[in-house]
Amino acid sequence: MAIKNNKRLLELSINGEMYDLVVECQETLLDVLRNSLGLTGTKEGCGTGECGSCTVLLEGEPVLACLLLAVDCENKRIETIEGQSLEGGMTPVQEAFLEKGAVQCGFCTSGMVMASTALLKGNSDPDEEDVMESLGGHLCRCTGYNKIMEAVLHAAKSYPEKS
Amino acid sequence: MYLPRFLNLRPSSLDEAVKLLGQNGKNVSLIAGGTELLPRMKYGLCSPEVIISLKGMKISSPQVTDEGMLILDAHMSLTSIIDSPEIYQKAPLLAMAAGKVATREIRNMGTLGGNLCQETRCLYFNQKHTFQFREPCFKRGGKECYFIPKGNKCWAVFMSDLAPALLSLDASINIVGGDGERQMKIDELYTHDPLNPISLKPDEILTTVMISGKPNPSGSGFAKFTMRDAIEFAGVNVGVFLEAENDLCTCKRARITVGAISEAPQRMPAVETSLEGKRLSEKNINVAAQKIAETLKIVPHHGYSKGYLVECLKIQTKTALIDAVNAITGAKQYGRKQNGHKK
Repeated sequence: MAIKNNKRLLELSINGEMYDLVVECQETLLDVLRNSLGLTGTKEGCGTGECGSCTVLLEGEPVLACLLLAVDCENKRIETIEGQSLEGGMTPVQEAFLEKGAVQCGFCTSGMVMASTALLKGNSDPDEEDVMESLGGHLCRCTGYNKIMEAVLHAAKSYPEKS
Repeated sequence: MYLPRFLNLRPSSLDEAVKLLGQNGKNVSLIAGGTELLPRMKYGLCSPEVIISLKGMKISSPQVTDEGMLILDAHMSLTSIIDSPEIYQKAPLLAMAAGKVATREIRNMGTLGGNLCQETRCLYFNQKHTFQFREPCFKRGGKECYFIPKGNKCWAVFMSDLAPALLSLDASINIVGGDGERQMKIDELYTHDPLNPISLKPDEILTTVMISGKPNPSGSGFAKFTMRDAIEFAGVNVGVFLEAENDLCTCKRARITVGAISEAPQRMPAVETSLEGKRLSEKNINVAAQKIAETLKIVPHHGYSKGYLVECLKIQTKTALIDAVNAITGAKQYGRKQNGHKK
């Protein structure tokens, strides 16, 4: 059976901007971000939900863009790594990653930053266990986990919502 | 990795979904969270032409009836199970199990119903077949097994974490299909057939999970063995629910379910009865754990040998039983923090 009519017109809200797009049903959010919109900051690692490098925030919660169909993201707020530094500067999480040397090859970094940002939004004073739990789904093949841990704990200290 | 082409339909009500399921015949699949189906499709293990998405439907929050029964929407995400105060209070075992599933990202996407209705898994099946293991195995419609060639059957195992918890809680489920609605005990959902592990008919949808009220005093424990903590399916998992007499140290009723070591989660009725009426002492717990490891038929899987899994099972059962006893006596309460999520 030939599959017909599998194109959909979508309105996606990504980093506060609205995009009108035509996507095919089988396209994941990751495909749309990278191939249609050129937002290549979100990386595809495994493509099957094992590595966490494609993490984006959907309504503020971290999800895997590689396992999320683009057609299911309509009317939802999507945030990617590109939206993290809209004013040109870096967010405290990104600053901390840089300061602590938590970026090696950088492939996992965008996912790590998104997940850490989500963690710090919900919990401004995480301990090591919280960080481990939140970043458990993120693989770093350079194995720079210690620095990443330090960076997230450091970012927590300078996070703006902490009062 | 790209997905094969398919048509995505998005019904807004359950009746419409059932109707669409009926209309589209064989090559149709339901999608809820998608964290289990989409990887399989990316590996080329299945390629439904029509996918019916349940994401257009409203998700109702957990309800508690006057009789203390907990009613859960099968479409709720695993994160909302962990965060729900009702579940925390009425069925902590389910929240504990949900907290052990995969990672925070996957828990945000995956649903209760999806976790219960997942496919069986095998190291030789869940991968791409473009390079090795190209000849189809039983699971792909062929006539051989790469894992145990002489076994002459499929050895895939069912690895849900929530299923053992719900079996121990004696949960029932509600199913809506072309022939109307029906209710059954959760253990009837599993067919014990690795090729077709779920007993739902093609046009049926699992809608709600019901858990009867938690009697007092009771306690529960969930233990999952994995090589690393996160993003892993269990090597073995154990869900324990214990009800004690008012003296807090005699076991009144025990429910022990072991998952991930066979084609369906397995209750251990013999061991349960042997615990009932006895003191919840370390000695009796050890005896029970030993007995489970001796009597249970264990399928080695995902690189774990049988002997290794037997040892793991012994330890995990003991851990879960001790956690349950501690919860009864109040020595160690299950904290939400332990379950690893935001406050």
